[in-house]
Amino acid sequence: MIEFVNVGKTFPDGQQVLNNINLYIERGEFVFLVGSSGAGKSTMIKLILKETEPSAGKIIIDNKDITKYRRRDIPYLRRSIGVVFQDFRLLHEKTVYENIAFAMEVIEAPPKEIRRQVPMVLSMVGLSKKASLYPQQLSGGEQQRVSLARAMVNGPSILIADEPTGNLDPDMSWDIMKILTEINQRGTTILMATHDSEIVNKMKKRVVAIENGTISRDEKRGGYCCET
Amino acid sequence: MKLRTSKFFFREGFRSLRRNKTMSAASITSVIASLLVIGIFYLIMLNIDYAATVLESQIEMRAYLTEGLSDNIIKSISQEVDAISGVKDVLFVSKAEALKQLEKDWGDNAYLLEGLDGENPLPDTLVITLEDPNKASGVALAVSSISNIDKVLYGKDELAKLLKATYIIRMSSLVIILILLFISVFIIANTIKLTVYARRREIGIMKFVGATDWFVRGPFVIEGILLGLLGGLIATTILGFGYHYCAGLIRQQMVGFMSIALMPFGEIIVSLLGLLTLVGIVIGAVGSLISVRRFIKV
Ligand SMILES: Nc1ncnc2c1ncn2[C@@H]1O[C@H](COP(=O)(O)OP(=O)(O)OP(=O)(O)O)[C@@H](O)[C@H]1O
Ligand SMILES: [Mg+2]
Repeated sequence: MIEFVNVGKTFPDGQQVLNNINLYIERGEFVFLVGSSGAGKSTMIKLILKETEPSAGKIIIDNKDITKYRRRDIPYLRRSIGVVFQDFRLLHEKTVYENIAFAMEVIEAPPKEIRRQVPMVLSMVGLSKKASLYPQQLSGGEQQRVSLARAMVNGPSILIADEPTGNLDPDMSWDIMKILTEINQRGTTILMATHDSEIVNKMKKRVVAIENGTISRDEKRGGYCCET
Repeated sequence: MKLRTSKFFFREGFRSLRRNKTMSAASITSVIASLLVIGIFYLIMLNIDYAATVLESQIEMRAYLTEGLSDNIIKSISQEVDAISGVKDVLFVSKAEALKQLEKDWGDNAYLLEGLDGENPLPDTLVITLEDPNKASGVALAVSSISNIDKVLYGKDELAKLLKATYIIRMSSLVIILILLFISVFIIANTIKLTVYARRREIGIMKFVGATDWFVRGPFVIEGILLGLLGGLIATTILGFGYHYCAGLIRQQMVGFMSIALMPFGEIIVSLLGLLTLVGIVIGAVGSLISVRRFIKV
């Protein structure tokens, strides 16, 4: 599903962040990406979304080498990948419903489908009753659930989450993890970058750790840190 | 483009105009300012053109005939002149009529003509109007080659000066308009850049959920077009009233040449409206395209 082959990334200022990364994530897997701050987790996510280009190697998504994609192919790559960020990235002047519908409108989805999909993902994240509220009227956890609903509304086969619980307290974080687990059980591949050791340790999922630009550890049912 | 897509563009474009009222007002004001200056130069150009055409059409050529020709010969000469290409009209003025006209023109000084003792020194004349004053010298040559034509006269130097002056004014107005267009696009691009900047979050979201570049640009282009259109309409109204008022003043102050040479309000308002709204729309669209460019690269 997601494959890094000998991927390197050196920024124009000469800083080498990733060096010879080889990673294979199968369809339907749930993978934690861990590593200290500045290790290159977000950079790997940006590479998958083609927000930045690798300096070496290739990245294969769904059997296609995306490093060969041209600029005009990028929107279609992103439609098959849902993304969630630490800072939610919701539009304050739109309601919960409108924020989610927006993700469908901008890819020119038929209105009929929008009216069917939005309530569905809203109920999936348990926010059906809050559809007409504005993001500022919601708690952080609820806002993150809205952004999860938006990430899933176009039915992507991959969900990428960059520190989705970074701004949330433990209770709210576990709400998010429950929803992510459900999404994963329905077949969506999930890659989640995180610093949250408790979550990683309890979830018992595959853990990929980045250190000094390379993969230092890749365990099937791993923990946040090595010697535990 | 799908209907719902253009609906989305218009909805978002209008929404952004309303949301950023101050910024929109600033944009429209700068559009109006640019369009006013463009419009003023356009009006000057139109009126110079118009005045030149009026003057050019008043330029006549006079062909003096030799003495004592019969009516039949005069008629055939007149027909011959009429057949020359570039000649619009030929009018025969007999020496008697010419003298009468002279007496009338001189008015109080007509007593000077009494010294002629009843003799008429004026020749029979063909008054020729031209289709195109640029061809005057060619027509003059052809007319003078006809037998029984004594002399051909026309305001050669004045004509050349007039043609040169209108050409220079036309060209420099055009250059000034082009420079102003360029400046206006720049001003609008800068103002819309502010609204684009204010909405960079939204652009970012559109990009990561997979909107195409054209889709991201759409609402901004509509917003730019609406700004330009509004600016164009307001600028046309201001200039239209201004022109109407000034033309009235000029007509009151000056009689004769100036008032004839000013274009009537009805004739300028349509082309002014067309030009300014079109230019407004184009600079609005181009300006917003330029300003989205930087933010779309994610
Ligand atoms: N555009 C850029 N230009 C230069 N250096 C960059 C750029 N983007 C990121 N970096 C550098 O790359 C390194 C990795 O950044 P990245 O954001 O991938 O880290 P991370 O693992 O996500 O860290 P965190 O856990 O703090 O989010 C950092 O040292 C950062 O300074
Ligand atoms: Mg990061």
